[in-house]
Amino acid sequence: MKTLEEIKAAIEAAVPGAGVEIVQNPGPAAQHSLRLQPGSAFEVAKFLRDDAELALNFLSNVTGVDWPDKEISEKVKVTRAVTKTVDGVEQTVEETVEETRKRVEPGYLEVVYHLFSMTQKHGPVILRMRTENRSDKVELPSMTPVWRSAEFQEREIFDLYGVVFRGHPDLRRILMWEGFKDHPMRRDYVEPDDYDYEPTAHDAVLAKAKAHQAAQQAAAEKGAAQ
Amino acid sequence: MAVDQELKIELGKQGVFVTTLQELYNWGRRNSVWPMNFGLACCAIEMIATTMARYDLARFGAEVFRPSPRQADMMIISGTVTKKMAPQVVRLYNQMAEPRYVIAMGACAISGGPFKQGYNVLKGIDRYIPVDVHIPGCPPRPEALLEAFITLQKKIDGQSLTGEDRPRFLNSEAPGEFAVPEPGEHDLEPAANKNVWTVPVVIR
Amino acid sequence: MASNPYFSLAVLFVAALGFGLAPLGLAWLWRQVYSPSKPNAIKNAIYECGLESRGDAWVQFHSSYYLYAIIFLIFDVEAVFLLPFAVAFTGLGAAACLAMFVFVLLLVEGLVWAWAKGILTWA
Repeated sequence: MKTLEEIKAAIEAAVPGAGVEIVQNPGPAAQHSLRLQPGSAFEVAKFLRDDAELALNFLSNVTGVDWPDKEISEKVKVTRAVTKTVDGVEQTVEETVEETRKRVEPGYLEVVYHLFSMTQKHGPVILRMRTENRSDKVELPSMTPVWRSAEFQEREIFDLYGVVFRGHPDLRRILMWEGFKDHPMRRDYVEPDDYDYEPTAHDAVLAKAKAHQAAQQAAAEKGAAQ
Repeated sequence: MAVDQELKIELGKQGVFVTTLQELYNWGRRNSVWPMNFGLACCAIEMIATTMARYDLARFGAEVFRPSPRQADMMIISGTVTKKMAPQVVRLYNQMAEPRYVIAMGACAISGGPFKQGYNVLKGIDRYIPVDVHIPGCPPRPEALLEAFITLQKKIDGQSLTGEDRPRFLNSEAPGEFAVPEPGEHDLEPAANKNVWTVPVVIR
Repeated sequence: MASNPYFSLAVLFVAALGFGLAPLGLAWLWRQVYSPSKPNAIKNAIYECGLESRGDAWVQFHSSYYLYAIIFLIFDVEAVFLLPFAVAFTGLGAAACLAMFVFVLLLVEGLVWAWAKGILTWA
């Protein structure tokens, strides 16, 4: 099988301006992946499937990853003018101060495709796509017209992560019911608080049961006060 | 109409059998409890094994699994009840003819089990329908289901035809319909049927 | 009256009727005394699969369904005649074999005709 760099070169030769990036996997598995741009991803996918040498005609797995907004605080050395009284005379002195700055790195939703070739007997080739953010710009092109097996798994990702697949033939919730509003696999999902009866709770469940009891008590006291 | 037990045994030795209408009625009912033919998850495999020749649920008069709720007397909640499935289970329970019984089989059916902290699993079916026998286990062995079934038979045997403590289905004031939960925006609405389930007090 | 030859039949008929009706009557009486009936909308719903009933119980089948049923008859009748033929096969002469062959050919012709007409494809 071609190396990832060769595949990248082949894609760029076939689809001009595809803008494919290689995402390194620093772990021991070292399964590096190709990050596609949503604009050209559909063309690239068709090329990967139809190319005689690659012939990646089997999509084994589609999954989602949620990358929440990250708040990064870092220490920066800043030089600025400070007015000081030195020897009874007011002076402006340049001073270097260490300051903690916080910035928010916007999060995104990521979809990962694992491809194999049944005819060439090679794989996996891993594709990634990222949405612009996690709230309103969550559209990605659907791969279902290219690999039919993506249909249900893309529906699952739509259901659990909230990625909207453009061009999907039947984009409905698959595990949760119609009318359900949340996306349970997102990291900021808040589960319904129904830990009212926990006779043998421990660890995380115990903490949740205690939190539930505290909330119930607070509500009861509030009700009694009114 | 109570018969003195000692007198009854004595008469039995003489070849005279005495019974009451209630006893006869309960004897007939407890020996022909027909379960409903449905399984929810892996516990259903154990339930199927229970009905097969090795464990043979037929010995207790429960071999006829009915595929329709109208002909079934007992519901075995065999496995995980997801929040998407719960309305269907409650609706099936409503469609069963009285008298009806429920066995909650396995950790998932009684409490949510290993999926307790998940977003999609109901924390016990007893929040919506009255459960007669709970069986712990993951999954419970067929012997456990048989034990639960014998427990249910004992329970049926103890039911009285008249009086204040008569079972729900003989009481015209007791409710015959149990509210089916509606799928809401974040959870099932309501999260528990207050007429069926009240939060037991936990002392820690 | 007792000399009427149908008298014993009438007695048996009444007995049979009573045998069937008595348990029903007893059950009805039991219900009146002990168990109250509590019907509700969910219990009286048409379907019994747990999902909400939608629409009417009377639905129209697609007309090609009936064509399928008729074609099924070809195989059905074929089996009905082929089985006794096969059982008695060793004792039969060449004439019987030929007759059966013609019979099967006629049925196959019907099937080929239906196939060519495109009835087997679900529209």
